[in-house]
Amino acid sequence: MNRVAEYLIDRSRAQGAEEVEVFLSRGTEFTVRAFQAEVESLVAATSRGFGLRTLREHRVGFAYTSESDPPALDALVDEALRNGRYNHPDEANVLPERLPVPELEGLVSPHFESADPQRKIQFALDLERRAIAIDPRVRRVSDAVYSDGSGHVEIYNSRGLEAQFDRTIAYGVVDVIAEQDSEMQSGFAFTHGRDIQSLDLDAAAKEAVENAAGLLGARPVPTASVPVVLHPHAAAMILGLLGGSFSAEAVLKRRSLLAGKVGQAVAAEMVTITDDARLPDGLASRPFDGEGVASQRNELIRSGVLQGYLHNTYTARRTKGQSTGSAVRSYKSVPEVGVSNLVLTPGSISREALLGQVANGLHVSQLHGLNTVNPVSGDFSLGLTGHWIENGQLTRPVRELTVAGNLIEVLKKVVAVASDIRFIFAGGFCGSPTLLIEELPVGGT
Amino acid sequence: MPLVDQSLVDSVIKRALASGADFAELYVERKRNQSISVEESKVQRVSSGNDRGAGLRIIHGGVVSYIYTEDLSSDGLLKTAELAAAVGQRGGGRFALGQVTGTPHAPQPVEVPPESVDPEAKIELLLEADQAARDVSGSIRQVAVAYGDSAQEVLVANSEGMHHEDARTRVRLMVHAVAERNGEIQTAMEAPGLQRGFEFFDETSAAAFARAAAERAVMLLDAAPSPAGSMPVVVGNEFGGVLFHEACGHGLEADFVSKGSTVFGGKLGQAVASPIVTAIDDGTMPSRWGTLGVDDEGVPTRRNVLIQDGVLVSYMFDRLRAGQQGHQPTGNGRRQSYQHLPIPRMTNTFISAGAHSVGDIIAATPRGLYAKKLGAGQVDVSSGDFVFAVTEGYLIEGGRIGRAVRGATIVGNGPRALHKIDMVGNDLKLAPGSCGKEGQMVPVSVGQPTIRISELTVGGTGVVRPGAMQV
Repeated sequence: MNRVAEYLIDRSRAQGAEEVEVFLSRGTEFTVRAFQAEVESLVAATSRGFGLRTLREHRVGFAYTSESDPPALDALVDEALRNGRYNHPDEANVLPERLPVPELEGLVSPHFESADPQRKIQFALDLERRAIAIDPRVRRVSDAVYSDGSGHVEIYNSRGLEAQFDRTIAYGVVDVIAEQDSEMQSGFAFTHGRDIQSLDLDAAAKEAVENAAGLLGARPVPTASVPVVLHPHAAAMILGLLGGSFSAEAVLKRRSLLAGKVGQAVAAEMVTITDDARLPDGLASRPFDGEGVASQRNELIRSGVLQGYLHNTYTARRTKGQSTGSAVRSYKSVPEVGVSNLVLTPGSISREALLGQVANGLHVSQLHGLNTVNPVSGDFSLGLTGHWIENGQLTRPVRELTVAGNLIEVLKKVVAVASDIRFIFAGGFCGSPTLLIEELPVGGT
Repeated sequence: MPLVDQSLVDSVIKRALASGADFAELYVERKRNQSISVEESKVQRVSSGNDRGAGLRIIHGGVVSYIYTEDLSSDGLLKTAELAAAVGQRGGGRFALGQVTGTPHAPQPVEVPPESVDPEAKIELLLEADQAARDVSGSIRQVAVAYGDSAQEVLVANSEGMHHEDARTRVRLMVHAVAERNGEIQTAMEAPGLQRGFEFFDETSAAAFARAAAERAVMLLDAAPSPAGSMPVVVGNEFGGVLFHEACGHGLEADFVSKGSTVFGGKLGQAVASPIVTAIDDGTMPSRWGTLGVDDEGVPTRRNVLIQDGVLVSYMFDRLRAGQQGHQPTGNGRRQSYQHLPIPRMTNTFISAGAHSVGDIIAATPRGLYAKKLGAGQVDVSSGDFVFAVTEGYLIEGGRIGRAVRGATIVGNGPRALHKIDMVGNDLKLAPGSCGKEGQMVPVSVGQPTIRISELTVGGTGVVRPGAMQV
């Protein structure tokens, strides 16, 4: 066992803790930003920290620190136990039963460690150069970034748990500016993988340029209620907003839109949603959760019907169920409940075929103001950018437009699901294909 | 006790310059925090944390390299300095950092350090607030109250011989109330906070804020869906300032100007707003959420007029962008923590008070939306387009405040909206907020008096009829 963890567990027990858990994480970061054919900034770092959770008479104590010298560790134990004295006792506060934790392959690239820093720097420079070369209306790149990181997690507890895993992530981000007359529009794209070799620089540059240039000449349109097509990124953002409602913690605290709806139809029949922390390419994949419980694939909505919620050990105990391996945390927090890789299952028709079903409607490429959505009522009224659709084709770009509705209503009004799934970070690592929504009110001029 | 011994600081900076860099800077931070929440009327999550680390920035030919670490031992810091010298990139650009002038302001006075206060006293406050919110109405279904304090000490030392320290102590209360009737759910929140010690609560009634949140959640149950369309919008004071912060303030941050990605680029001296608009960023205001003795590059904060009578007079600079653009730094170089590079950020940003009372403004508006409280929002800095949620809104009919509406958002374009401000109230107030940019969160204040924007797009779920406002 890790020396620090052993010390913390022994000392906490000696001071009266009945159960103890140590969450330790460390990681590396390497980020390069390019601007005007030069490195703008480079960040390289390693970081680490410890979170200590104690249980005494069913009261949770928690404290964290980034220091590891003996006085800091002693202070950490004192603080966790002191904090625990004030917390409400709850019989559901227990550590998970000790069960075997299966391995999960593919989280670490064998090429990650050996990647040459110069190559990473070149990636950022190339990303900027490539993006500027595509379209004469895009002459400037406001952000061209290469970033990677490795993360290492260890969990130990007084029930004998000793678990650890490593994960690597690399990504490139490009943000470009398209200009025409006095108008400016920005466009963004990203590419991700386990190492630099798995990134697609050209595709990202091209997509960002198309996104920005495609919006030039955008005009407001009149207010109307029309069929709405959500680009996979926009749909994945809606999925991310819904993510919190799958948490049993939110259900217990009456903050979930889906409370009391297990077994009921909460979406159209063609909608199936899963949270899968073992997804092979999922950037949120992990062999076990923030309490050391094995990850699993959780079907949340099957053919429109809500199957259940996501649980950590606490919510499982409170509802007399099983943990779904959904404890999320950093060393700075106690385990809460959250999504990992949240996926809306793709359908069988192509994006083009889906668009072909729309004679007159709106294609939404980006939603703005997602942080304004009320996750408890599900009501939203969001700004958007996108294009008008005429006879299945994207035509003129639109701006200063709002689309309003309710998250559940949107799920219920899905009338077509395409096959073109794409992922973004939106709370969790969220993936969705293009969706056609029967009709939503769109506010314009 | 100093965060790091002076002689060690000197050795670290010297070693970081070993490969010939033009500039080296060490930022050391120690931050202690405590948080407590009460949910379901029970004390939950009493927790505390201790963050300590250092970031070393070197600049060589205009290129910035940054290394950070949690290891503040002499060995750890010297190794970090060697790493910085080794991985640091060298550019062909000219080195220029804005010159630091002025003397640091003293940290904001703290009478009762929060960490000296027994958690019991903090819990008592929360339970009182919880009860006050629940007592408002039988429709209150859920109340969550939380308390947070933090005490941050920073040291900024650099190869120019700077050695500045600052301390920032913050306390904040958060109340979130959920009201429910016939399956309909509405929520409201209040979150007062200042840079003070625990004495903040001698003058601030936690219960009063809790009641305000609960009353608003209940009131919204009776609100009608908001109409959609284009109309005059009266934006309330205090947190209404988030509109200026997001839609204009970010566009005045000098890094966006350097990159040509803001609509306000190249417009110094030009009229960018209606002549009744004066906007200020002031990092020196006593006890405010975004106030600093020195910024996170050691630059003393200032009162910076951004827009004077409608004319753009200044951007907000960190040292790097000030150097690039030939300006003085304005005390806006900030970072979330030792794990981040400093970038231009707002401090306490607000529109100055004007002549009208709120009553005058409403009375002068035949019909429109009174967005008394705004919630979260988002803006695209390059186009200036923004969207905001209205968390407390009313129709204005015949110059009077009419029925409450819910689910409204306002959508528009920052630069165009600035020109359309046609009335400015006399009721300036500020509110604390947390501002995110490039993955870094920093504490700021937003603020304004009540203002009227002659035309904005309102989005809502109400009945939609083009050309006419319907409820």
